[in-house]
Amino acid sequence: MSDDALHATPDAAAVAEAPKPRRERLSPAPVDPVTGRPDPSLLKPHQAALRQAVVDAFNAKKARKFLQKQVHHISANRELADGIKFLFDEHGRPPGNVPLEDIIEERRMVEYHVMWIEGVLSEMRHRLIKIREVEDYALDMLARSEHEND
Amino acid sequence: MSAPLFLLAPPRSYTSLVNAMLGQHPQAFGLPELCLFNVERLVDLWVGVEGENAERGAMARHGLMRAVAEIYGGEQSAATVNMARAWASAREDWDTGRVFQEIVARLHPLVAVEKSPSYAIAVPRMRGLLKAFPDARFLHLIRHPVAQCKSVMAINDGAFTMKVNAFEIDEDYAIMEPQIAWHDVNLNILEFLEEVPPAQQLRMRGEDIMADPRTHLAAIARWAGLRDDDEAIEEMMHPERSPFACFGPITALFGNDPNFLSGPTFRPHKPKIPPLDTDLPWRKDGRRLYPQVVELANEFGYV
Repeated sequence: MSDDALHATPDAAAVAEAPKPRRERLSPAPVDPVTGRPDPSLLKPHQAALRQAVVDAFNAKKARKFLQKQVHHISANRELADGIKFLFDEHGRPPGNVPLEDIIEERRMVEYHVMWIEGVLSEMRHRLIKIREVEDYALDMLARSEHEND
Repeated sequence: MSAPLFLLAPPRSYTSLVNAMLGQHPQAFGLPELCLFNVERLVDLWVGVEGENAERGAMARHGLMRAVAEIYGGEQSAATVNMARAWASAREDWDTGRVFQEIVARLHPLVAVEKSPSYAIAVPRMRGLLKAFPDARFLHLIRHPVAQCKSVMAINDGAFTMKVNAFEIDEDYAIMEPQIAWHDVNLNILEFLEEVPPAQQLRMRGEDIMADPRTHLAAIARWAGLRDDDEAIEEMMHPERSPFACFGPITALFGNDPNFLSGPTFRPHKPKIPPLDTDLPWRKDGRRLYPQVVELANEFGYV
C-alpha cells in the first residue's frame, strides 16, 4: 500500500485535512486555564456535592476491597496476596531482574528508614513535651506577674 | 539531536504495544513512560503537585528511573536505579524539558519514542513537548470509544475517569462516565495538534495497526523518516524484546501498564469494532454514546 493510499483512508488520515469545528468539552467541570485540566472547585455547589458523593463511594469501595484482600491474605496463611500475583509467572517465579537478594535488601532498607523516622518522631515528640512545659510555665509566670502589678 | 516521536492518546488505546513496537525499530529507542511533562521541574516528580498523592508520584518515577538506569548504566538493577536517583538528584532543579533533551541527546542518532498517556489530559503538558522539541513528531492513536471506555472501567475501578473529572452530573445524580474522558482527552489532542505543523503529525487507529501491523508500521516509519525495509518491520513485530517490556527491579517495578509488562508479546489479531449505537457495558440505564462522542468517532472513521 502506498503512502497516498494509506492517508486516503479515514483510519489513517493526515490530521491537517480533517475538518476542525470548535467543540465544547463534555466534562461539567470548567477547565482551569493554567493547568489545562477540569477544575472541580469551579462546579456549582449541588454539582460539587453530587460529584463528591461519587468520589466518596469510590474511595469507600477501594478501602473495602483493600481490607478484604488483607483479610484474605492473612487467612490464607501467608498466601501470596492477589495484588502482587501478576508480578510472578505461572510457576510462581519472580521477574528475572528482581532477584531475591534485592527484595530482601530493599525490605531491610525500608525497615531501616521506618526505624529512623520513628526515632526522629519520638525525639521530636519528647522535645515538644518539654517545650510545651516551658511555654506553660512562662505563660503562668507572666500571668502571675501581671496580677501582682495590678 | 534526533527529534523524538511522541504517541498521544487516552489510556488503553494500544499505546504501550505500539510504543514498544516502534521502539524496536533499528533506528529508534522506545522509552518507558517518563511522565516528565506532567511537571515543570524534575524535583516536582518527587515532591508532587496539587491533587496528586505520593503513591502515584512514586509510580510516575519508575519509568524515568528505569530509562536512566538502562541508558546510562547499561542495565536495570537495584544498583543502577540507585545511580538513576543520584542522576536525578543532580538535576532536580532542571526544567523537565531540559532533562528530556539530555536523554534524547544521549540516545542520538536513535530516535526516542515515548508515550505517557498523562500528557494528553492537559493541553499545556503537550505544549511542553513541542516547546522542548519543535521538530518532534506526534502520532495520535485512536481506539473505538466503546472498547476504550470498557477497558478504562476495568482498570482500577475506572479511576482514570475521576482523574479527568469525567462525571455525568444531573439534578439528582452523578456517575463516572468514561466516554466524557474519551471525548475530552481526544479533544485536547486535536486542539494541541492545531499548533503542530501538518508534516509532524499523523493520526492512526489502533485497531488497524493490530489487524495489519506490517503495512501500518511501515507507513509510520516512512512518515518518521525511518527505514521501512523488511528487516526493520520484522524487528518492530517483537515488542517483547524491548528492555522495558518486563517488570523492572524491585525499586522501580513499573514504568508502563502492568498488563503489558506481564505479557508484552504481540499476537496479530483483528479487534472487533462494535457499532457506535451499541449498548454500553458500563451503563445500567441503557443510555448510549453521546451525540458529540458519536460525531468525533465518525470523524475518526468509526461507524
